Amino acid sequence: MKRLWFCLLLTLWLPAQALQITDERGVQVRLAAPPQRIVSLLPSLTETVCALDACHRLVGVDRYSNHPAQVRTLPQVGGGLDPNIEAIVALKPDLVLMSMSSRAAERLEALGLKVAALDTKTHADVRRVLEKVGTLLGVNDAQRVWRTIDAGVSAAAQSLSAKARNTRVYFEVSRGPYAAGETSFIGETLTRLGVKNVVPASLGPFPKLNPEYVVRANPDVIMIGNRSMQAMVPYPGWQSIKAVREQRICVFPNDDAETIVRPGPRMAEAARLMARCLEEKTGEKPR
Amino acid sequence: MNAMAAYHRKALLLGLALLLASAALLLLGASVGSTGFESVLRMGQDAMAWQIVSEIRLPRTVGAWLAGALLGLAGAVAQGLFRNPLADPYLLGSASGATLGVATAMALFGVSPLATHWLVRIGFTGAAFVGAVVAVLLTLLLAKGVQHTLRLLLAGVIVGVVLGAFSSLTLLLNPDILQAMQSFMLGSTAFVGWSAAGVMAAALALCLLAGWLLSPVLDGLALGEATATSLGLRLPQMRAALIAVLALATGTAVAQTGLIAFVGLAAPHLVRSVVKTTHGRLILLSSLLGAVLLTAADLLARWLVAPQELPVGVLTAVLGGSYLLWLMHRATAHEGGGR
Amino acid sequence: MNAALQGQGIAVRFGATEVLHDVSVALPRGRWTSIVGPNGAGKSTLLKALAGLLPHAGSVQLLGRPLADWPARERARQLAWLGQNEHGADDLTAYDVAMLGRLPHQPWLSPPGADDHAAVERALRATQAWDWRARPLGQLSGGERQRVLLARALAVQAEVLLMDEPLANLDPPHQVDWLLLVRELVKNGKTVVSVLHELSLALQADELVVMAAGRVVHHGACGEAATHRALERVFDGRIHIQQVAGQWLSLPKL
Repeated sequence: MKRLWFCLLLTLWLPAQALQITDERGVQVRLAAPPQRIVSLLPSLTETVCALDACHRLVGVDRYSNHPAQVRTLPQVGGGLDPNIEAIVALKPDLVLMSMSSRAAERLEALGLKVAALDTKTHADVRRVLEKVGTLLGVNDAQRVWRTIDAGVSAAAQSLSAKARNTRVYFEVSRGPYAAGETSFIGETLTRLGVKNVVPASLGPFPKLNPEYVVRANPDVIMIGNRSMQAMVPYPGWQSIKAVREQRICVFPNDDAETIVRPGPRMAEAARLMARCLEEKTGEKPR
Repeated sequence: MNAMAAYHRKALLLGLALLLASAALLLLGASVGSTGFESVLRMGQDAMAWQIVSEIRLPRTVGAWLAGALLGLAGAVAQGLFRNPLADPYLLGSASGATLGVATAMALFGVSPLATHWLVRIGFTGAAFVGAVVAVLLTLLLAKGVQHTLRLLLAGVIVGVVLGAFSSLTLLLNPDILQAMQSFMLGSTAFVGWSAAGVMAAALALCLLAGWLLSPVLDGLALGEATATSLGLRLPQMRAALIAVLALATGTAVAQTGLIAFVGLAAPHLVRSVVKTTHGRLILLSSLLGAVLLTAADLLARWLVAPQELPVGVLTAVLGGSYLLWLMHRATAHEGGGR
Repeated sequence: MNAALQGQGIAVRFGATEVLHDVSVALPRGRWTSIVGPNGAGKSTLLKALAGLLPHAGSVQLLGRPLADWPARERARQLAWLGQNEHGADDLTAYDVAMLGRLPHQPWLSPPGADDHAAVERALRATQAWDWRARPLGQLSGGERQRVLLARALAVQAEVLLMDEPLANLDPPHQVDWLLLVRELVKNGKTVVSVLHELSLALQADELVVMAAGRVVHHGACGEAATHRALERVFDGRIHIQQVAGQWLSLPKL
C-alpha cells in the first residue's frame, strides 16, 4: 500500500518538477502540462523550439522570425521589443518565450500568461537555452539536438584545410566599423573553426574600431556579415590590406548573413558557411 | 575711429590664432590613431605606417577640419538669417532628411538590383546629401517660400519630425542596420578619404564665397526685415540664396561625416563672445572656429579609447556645451554685478 | 503742390480686418509732417505703406515717380525708414549699426569709404552717440539704443525721412535734441514724416495729418484752429489744444 502511495505521489511530483525552469530573470516558470500553444518573440527562440521538433506548437511569432519557412505563415505579433500585447493575449498561449531585454514580460504576466525570458549570447547559452526550452516543452531531446549541433560545428572545423586554418580573420558586423571580437558569438565560432581573430578579447564583444586598426592588423580574410556596401565602398586606406588586395573578402548574402549573425541552433550551419568561404578564399592564388 | 580699430585688430588676432590652432591640430591629427606616434616616426621606412598616416589619418583630420568649417559657416548663416541665437544648421529639417536618406539606402541595399545599382553609384554620402536637400525643399514648399521667417521655422520643425518618424519606422523594420545607423547619427570621420575631403573643400570654397557676398543681407536683417527692405536689399532673392548656401554646406558636411551636433550652434556664439563684428567677418571666423572645434573633438575621439573610437558627435556636444555653459555662467555673473 | 511722398487710395487688410480704408494723402516737400491719432488709427500702417514695406491696394509716388518704378537701391538712397521697436543687432557696435545706414550708397561689398565714415560720424554726433560708438548695442540703455538707431537712419542722408515713434525711450533733453535736429533737416530742404503719440511734440511740426479708424480725418497746418478742433475730436474731446508761451500744447481736459 505504501509503495502504491509512493508511486502515486511520484507520478504527481515528477511531472510538476519536470516542467519548471528558472529563466534569465531569475523567475521560476512552472507549467502544469507541456504547452501546446507557444508564442515566441525572439527569432533564436523560435528556431530553438523548431529544433526541438515542436514547431507545430507555435501559434504566433515576432516579425523578425523567419526560419524555418513554416513559421512565416504564423501570425506576427509585433517585434521583440515592441510586441502587440493584445494580439498575444488573443492567441491564448500557454507559454510566451521572449528576450530578457523586453519590458513586456511584466505586462504579459500581469495578464495571466506564463512568460519565460531567455537570451542566447554565447555558445554555452545556446546549449543552456536548448535544455531549458526542452524542459519547458516536456521534450527530452535537448541533449541529442545539442550534440548534433556541436558535431556539426566540429565537422565544419575539421573540413578546413591546414592552409585555411592558419588564416587571420576580421569579421565586420556593421558599418562603423563594428567588429566581432573573440568573446562574441561569431568570435566563438571562429575560434572553434580554428582561425585567429584579429580583434582580441580585450576589446570586448563588438568594439567600434578605428579603421586604422584593421590596416595595421592586416587580416588574411575579411568577412562581412552585413549589407553595408563595404565591399564596394571600402574605407579609405584599406587598399593595402592583404585581404582587400587579393580580394579575399567573404560577402555573405542577406540570408546567410542572418544565419551567421543570429546566435541560435543554426550555429552549425553558420560554421559551415564560414568554413566554406574560408576554404574558397584561401584556396585561390593571389592575383 | 580708433575705437573701431581695436575691434578690427581683435578680429584679425582671432583669425590668426585659429589658423595657428588649425595647423597644430593638423599635425597632431597625423599622429593620433590606433598606433600613436610611432607611425609618424616610422613613416619614412615602413610603407604601411606611411599609408596609415597619408591615406587614413591625414584625410580624416583634414576632413574633420573641412566639415567643422562647413558647419560653423552654416551656423553663422542660420543664426543671421533667422535672427535667432538658438538656430543651428539643421533647422530646416536637413538632419532628418539625411538620416532618412541613409536609412533608406541601407535598407534597400541588396534588396532590389535596381536600387543596389544606383546606391553603389551615389553611395551613402550621395543618399545623405539628397535626403538633406529634399528635406530643405520640402520645408520651403510647406512654408510657401522664403519670406516668412516664423513659417519657415515651423515648417522646418514639422519636416524634421515627420521625416524623423519615417527614419524610425525604417529602423524598426530593419533592425540589422541599427548599429550602422548609430555610427551615422552620432558622427564619424572614419569614412573620409581624400576624395571626400576634396568634395568638402570645393563646397566650402563655394559657400564661403557666397556667404561673404551675401553678408550685407545678414547685417541688414539684424535690424529687422522692414529696415532691411528700406535699405534697398532685395530680400526674397537673397534669402533664397542664403538658404541654398545653408543647405549646401549642411548637406555636404552631414553626407561625409554624419550628424555632428553643437558645432554649428556654438561656433558663432564663441566668436561673438570674443569680438563683435559684422557678418562678413563673422562667417569667416565662425567657419574657422567650427573647423578647430571639430578637429579637436575628432582627435580626442580617436585618442581616448584607442584602438576603439568614440563617436565624434558626443565629444562636440561635451566640448561645445561645456564652453557655452561657462560663458552663460560668466554672463549671468556680470549681469548680476553690472547695470 | 510739391509733394515728396504721395499716396492715393491706399487700403490695407490684415487677414479679414481692413486697417486702412482708401487713404489719400500728399506729404509736402521740405516740411515736417506729423501723423497723429488714437491707438489703432492705422498711423504706423500708413507710414509703412508709404515706405513700400507693406502690400497694399492703391498707389504711392515718391518725388513724383511711382514707388514701384524706383530701383531698390536708388529708392533706399532717397527714402530712409526708422521703425518702431526695432530689435536685434545686439552684437554689433553702435558704429557698425550706424554704418549699416550707408548700405544703399556703398557698392556691394566694398569697404566703407571716406564719405561713409564722415556721414556716420556726423550722424552719431548729431544724436550724441559718438562717445560710445564702440559699445555693442546689447550693452546700451533703451534711450542710447534709440539714438543709435536714429543715427542709422540719419546716416542714409536721404531726401525723405520716415520715422515711426522715434522718441521711444528718449528722455526730455534728447527729445528736444531730436526736435532741433528735425528742424535743421527741414531747413536744409529734407522732408520729414513722423508718427508721434506725444501730441505736444507733434504740434511742433509744420503740418499735421490727423487719423482715426483707418481714415485721414484732417490734414492741415499745425497752427490752424481747424487742425486743433480735429485733434480734439478724434480724442473724444478728452484733450484741449492751447497756446502756452508761443507753443501749442495738448492739455488733458479734466
